[in-house]
Amino acid sequence: MTTSELLLKQAAKATGNGSTIAPDQQKAARFLAENRFAFRKNEVWRNVDFSDFLNDELTVPDNSFCPIPTPFSCNIPNLDTLQLTLCNGHFQGQPLQTLAGGAIVGGLRTALQQHPDLVATVFAQTTPENNSFLAANTAAFTDGVFIYIPDGVTIEKPLQILSVADHEKAICLQTRNLVYVGQNSRLTLIHCDDSHNHNRSFSNNVTEIVIDQYAHLDHYKMQNLNDNSGLMNQTFVLMRQNASLLSNSVSLNGGNIRNHNEVRMAGQHCDVQVQGLYLMDKEQRIDNYVYVEHSQPNCNSYELFKGIMDDNARGSFHGHVLVRDGASKTNAVQSNKNILLTDKATISSKPFLEIYNDDVKCSHGSSIGQLDEQALFYMMQRGIRPHTARTLLMYAFCDEVLKDIAIAPLQQQLREMVRLRLQGELSSCDNCMMSCPTNDACHFSIDTSAL
Amino acid sequence: MSLLSIRNLHASIGDKEILKGVNLEVNEGEVHSIMGPNGNGKSTLAAVIVGNSKFTVTQGEVIFKGRNVLDMPVEERAAEGLFLGFQYPVEIPGVSISTFMRTAVNEQRKYRGLDPLSGSEFLKLMEEKKQIVELTSNLASRSVNEGFSGGEKKKNEIFQMAMLDPKMAILDETDSGLDIDALRIVANGVNKLRRPDNATIVITHYQRLLDYIVPDFVHILYEGRIVKTGDKNLALELEKKGYAWIKEELENQSR
Repeated sequence: MTTSELLLKQAAKATGNGSTIAPDQQKAARFLAENRFAFRKNEVWRNVDFSDFLNDELTVPDNSFCPIPTPFSCNIPNLDTLQLTLCNGHFQGQPLQTLAGGAIVGGLRTALQQHPDLVATVFAQTTPENNSFLAANTAAFTDGVFIYIPDGVTIEKPLQILSVADHEKAICLQTRNLVYVGQNSRLTLIHCDDSHNHNRSFSNNVTEIVIDQYAHLDHYKMQNLNDNSGLMNQTFVLMRQNASLLSNSVSLNGGNIRNHNEVRMAGQHCDVQVQGLYLMDKEQRIDNYVYVEHSQPNCNSYELFKGIMDDNARGSFHGHVLVRDGASKTNAVQSNKNILLTDKATISSKPFLEIYNDDVKCSHGSSIGQLDEQALFYMMQRGIRPHTARTLLMYAFCDEVLKDIAIAPLQQQLREMVRLRLQGELSSCDNCMMSCPTNDACHFSIDTSAL
Repeated sequence: MSLLSIRNLHASIGDKEILKGVNLEVNEGEVHSIMGPNGNGKSTLAAVIVGNSKFTVTQGEVIFKGRNVLDMPVEERAAEGLFLGFQYPVEIPGVSISTFMRTAVNEQRKYRGLDPLSGSEFLKLMEEKKQIVELTSNLASRSVNEGFSGGEKKKNEIFQMAMLDPKMAILDETDSGLDIDALRIVANGVNKLRRPDNATIVITHYQRLLDYIVPDFVHILYEGRIVKTGDKNLALELEKKGYAWIKEELENQSR
């Protein structure tokens, strides 16, 4: 059975067993039965192609094979987090944890049994428009992470969702994460997608986030998968009045990655910053889609996506800012900058503003280019070898995104990984790339404090 | 043996020949000034010596410390001790001056078989050299030349020269875009770096800079050749009479 047939079959079987989310699951199953995985004609999905995976015969694994060793090699040095681990789509470790202030974290399946009403306040609440991958996930997700932060709670220690693919077979994962940040609360969430071996995997992941009034979320996504893997990563954010979001996704490696982001600001005075960095090479593919909806006055959104494409890598950036009639005093910025290192690498960039209000300030920009030859010559005239000069220029290009990462150890590790990636050393790491040993013989020294 | 010896150098860009047989000898401890009207090859000469691939050398040689540098890559020429102070310093967004200089200093040290400078050694060196051009400390943490004023860019060039301590520095119109205070700071910087075992070529339009950096020799580069060489008084004469008399003199010679 092909993967798409398997997903359709699983969705058709989904009934929700009378739970609080059963109606949503049934609705999703009907949507998928009707639309299947045919959507190439839709502009939003035009660049997406996971047919390799959908036509392959992947299996959805049970929870019996999960040998994540401790200490886990994907750990970020010096970063103290509360880890929530998903292995092959299954939440690891059982009961739900209650943190200071009454926050609840743990597996979604368990949460659905113990807090069905809390789950229902987020589940399928941020997704007014359906799509096939979302529907498949809604109907038949395996498990996921559930995070509920009540009103007025600041979670000091970052939470880290660790989603690992590690199976002897080629697998398909469907994880669903729900995050609720209550009024006046603050949360930092790090979401890592890692491969732990070189086997083929396809992950159809959906994360739904509600940021309530005056609440703030820092959301970091780090994607470091093997070349045989596909990642369909959809993030839906619903923001209420005076809520703010910083989202930063760093895609370091992966066979085929789609980051699909939809952010809806449903109240006034919201602040959104969505940033991304992607470094692709070989035959890899990356698509970033960002939809930002301004429906109320006085909201700001800022988008910056930067990428370096090497070898035969392909990719796209598609940004869509919708400013509705009532959204006066909107401030929206959209920017996508790319460097193509070879003649064969391609990127398609489509910044797009759709505005129905006259009292707004919106701008968009896009650039695709090569490294600055004059700058390279200038650096070489100072004695810097061409390879180092190129690496330094690329590093500087990336740093515009990395500098906004507020967690110092995470920023440091990502800078180091970007440096290794740019020097071509990262992909030579056998195991999880997060802990790849650094090559001290390198003389490309960066004074990051001064960048 | 000269430190730098240029013999019958011809260079072109596209089909256009710009240098048409330049000859020049520079010894250790000397300061040479190259003057001449715009568009006659001064900047091209500097660019060719340091290896800008925009220009093609069709004839001649450039011998530096006994080796023909025309076959050497740009970064090796630099590591051997050739430095160019750019007429238009390039902006490098995202790379701080200190990162840039630390990388450059350590790559040059590696080329010479020396260990890299540690962070603290480097900082000490940088503090010391910043004094030479009165560079303020916050400038060093800014991206290279990004948003710098004309004066700051030129000061930054001399600061880099101080950091890299070249055997042979070529300063291409370092005086352009400078106000009188910046000019004095830059010129003082160059004078402080002057030693019996290094040399400087100063390319300029105006005699003004040569009030501060006193040259041992003044050359006039005209239509791709050095047509006249003298001492500092030649520069004063040019200031008074302009370049027209050079042209007349050449025409008289050829008659």
